[in-house]
Amino acid sequence: MKVEFMNETKSKTYEYEYEEYEDGNKSAKTVIEDILGDPEFQELTEVVIGDWGEAWDEDCQAIIDGIVERAECFSHIERLFIGDMDYESCEVSWIMQGNYSQLWAAMPQLKALTIKGSTDLELGTVSHENLEELTIICGGLPENVLMSIQEAHLPNLKKLLLYLGIEDYGFDGDPDRIRTFLDKSDFPKLHYLGLTDSEIQDEIAEVVLDSKYIGQIRTLDLSMGSLTDKGAQMILDNISSYPNIEVLDVHYHYMSSEMVRKLEDLNQHCIAVDASEQNEPYISSIDGEAYYTAMLTE
Amino acid sequence: MRRAVLLSNPETKRAVYLQKAAIQEQISLHILDWKDWKKHLPDGELFLKIDPPLWDSCILEELDMLTEAYERELEAAAYLTEERTIEFLNTPAVITELLDKRSCKKRLIQAGLPVTEFLGADSEDHMDHAYRNMEELLEAMKRCQVYQIFLKPVRGSGAAGVTAFRLQPGTGRMSLYTCALHVPEKGILNTKRLRNYTDVSEIQLFLNKILKTDCIAERWHPKAAVHGFSYDLRVVVQDGNVDYVLARLSKGPVTNLQLNNHPMSLEDTGLSLQTQEKIKRLCVEAAACYPGLGTVGIDILLEKGSLNPRIIEMNAQGDLIYQDIYHENSIYRHQARKIKAWLSG
Repeated sequence: MKVEFMNETKSKTYEYEYEEYEDGNKSAKTVIEDILGDPEFQELTEVVIGDWGEAWDEDCQAIIDGIVERAECFSHIERLFIGDMDYESCEVSWIMQGNYSQLWAAMPQLKALTIKGSTDLELGTVSHENLEELTIICGGLPENVLMSIQEAHLPNLKKLLLYLGIEDYGFDGDPDRIRTFLDKSDFPKLHYLGLTDSEIQDEIAEVVLDSKYIGQIRTLDLSMGSLTDKGAQMILDNISSYPNIEVLDVHYHYMSSEMVRKLEDLNQHCIAVDASEQNEPYISSIDGEAYYTAMLTE
Repeated sequence: MRRAVLLSNPETKRAVYLQKAAIQEQISLHILDWKDWKKHLPDGELFLKIDPPLWDSCILEELDMLTEAYERELEAAAYLTEERTIEFLNTPAVITELLDKRSCKKRLIQAGLPVTEFLGADSEDHMDHAYRNMEELLEAMKRCQVYQIFLKPVRGSGAAGVTAFRLQPGTGRMSLYTCALHVPEKGILNTKRLRNYTDVSEIQLFLNKILKTDCIAERWHPKAAVHGFSYDLRVVVQDGNVDYVLARLSKGPVTNLQLNNHPMSLEDTGLSLQTQEKIKRLCVEAAACYPGLGTVGIDILLEKGSLNPRIIEMNAQGDLIYQDIYHENSIYRHQARKIKAWLSG
């Protein structure tokens, strides 16, 4: 098992190398015992679980269940990331996730949860008094996950970062669905809202600007999607009405250089803007269509 | 009289920057244009460096034909030694040998060096096996339980036709990354844009086309990553020493720098000195497998996690590194010094 120890955050990544799972000795079923057998585990505050081996074929339910069953052993862990692997190991949309419904009660001390992959992902009924950050990284956010978050009881949630993704990889919503989500959800302490990696990023921008959260958040993250001048102009037209916003993240976008400059001028108004990674649409030589692709589409 | 000659395309960076290096070393370098090189070949004893010719076509089905034409030119260059003394930087024979990815990989395996594995590395005939269509390929992947592979035209260079393909055996889902684009009535064109296909019928169409060219299939080993990018290394070995190492960072499985990927110095990758030495030793050993190979670019994959190096491929004309020519020009300066020594020898 490869481990990576980050002293500053007391974080460690646990993942198997190909040779370890190839012969069948290691799998999702052995991850928890390997973590618990690690002498450094007690010192950690964050556990990151990477490739558990053939994640496109074996889900991580055994890992989630193992944490729940040995919850007392994980009582010092404040941050948890399950599925930290790149396309070299597995397509994001192929990572087989699991059901987290038992985790909320088992880890009451948890402050941050990051989940990568949305295949077979179920959050269940989400109720957690202390969770401050929830991040879902995926190629397409399915309705059941969105609904769980919409109905979640997370009174201390400060950061919500969702990769909406695209229809081909599981996003089955639309701007109206996101509008409902923002309207019905209740996160009174939210100060970071990220609805990112969308192929309808302009429409998402419009919906977010019209939501109840726009007056309370400090960070607006609309990055990694297909944001064009249309969506950016809406941001420009409205953002001055919300002095609460300190950070605007729109990196990876399809805006013109002129629009990038206009947005970056917001720095003079004490808004830190990240408008890096300017993209140009791909014009098909076959049908002449312009394609604006989100960053994570796999 | 001894003369130094570069057989190349005069406007290319290869020619321009070797000429600059020659000027710095105060030697005369005669540049022969591929177009009419036989007519203008200088008399006397020659030191000859052969650069690759420029090909107009980007149709992959024409790769074999173009390579064969190139090989005939190399044969002609080799034949020159019947008439007079010629010192080659890389001999035509070794350039020809390294044009064949399958043959190169076999030779390295025979030398006991780690390479990216052939699909079905445990069977006897895997090295020479060519898969004729998607059905055969899928059968082999399932039989070998290797569900992510690279396909590479045996005679391609750069990212031409390189295809990363993975299969989810339980569901039959597929994902394919390639810069090659199938254009009806034209064929498979090599482009500079990486595309991802997930539609099975599109993938089948593409695979059946690309497999009509002679391809090797090898296991897609997950690559090491740094700062959120996966990467491999291009290592230039000249005369038994490593002269340059460059990391090629990518957000996709194909790392070639022509695809707007990012270069990074070896130092910035954070690799330990021990790992760096291991990589360098491997590359020097690989170069030593080929007598007549004075300069070579070797692509190295570092396995994710263990960082064990594996040779992806070797390129007898892989000495053009932009990050070098725009700074020290050390690779071509080395060659110019070698030429200078020969001229005064």
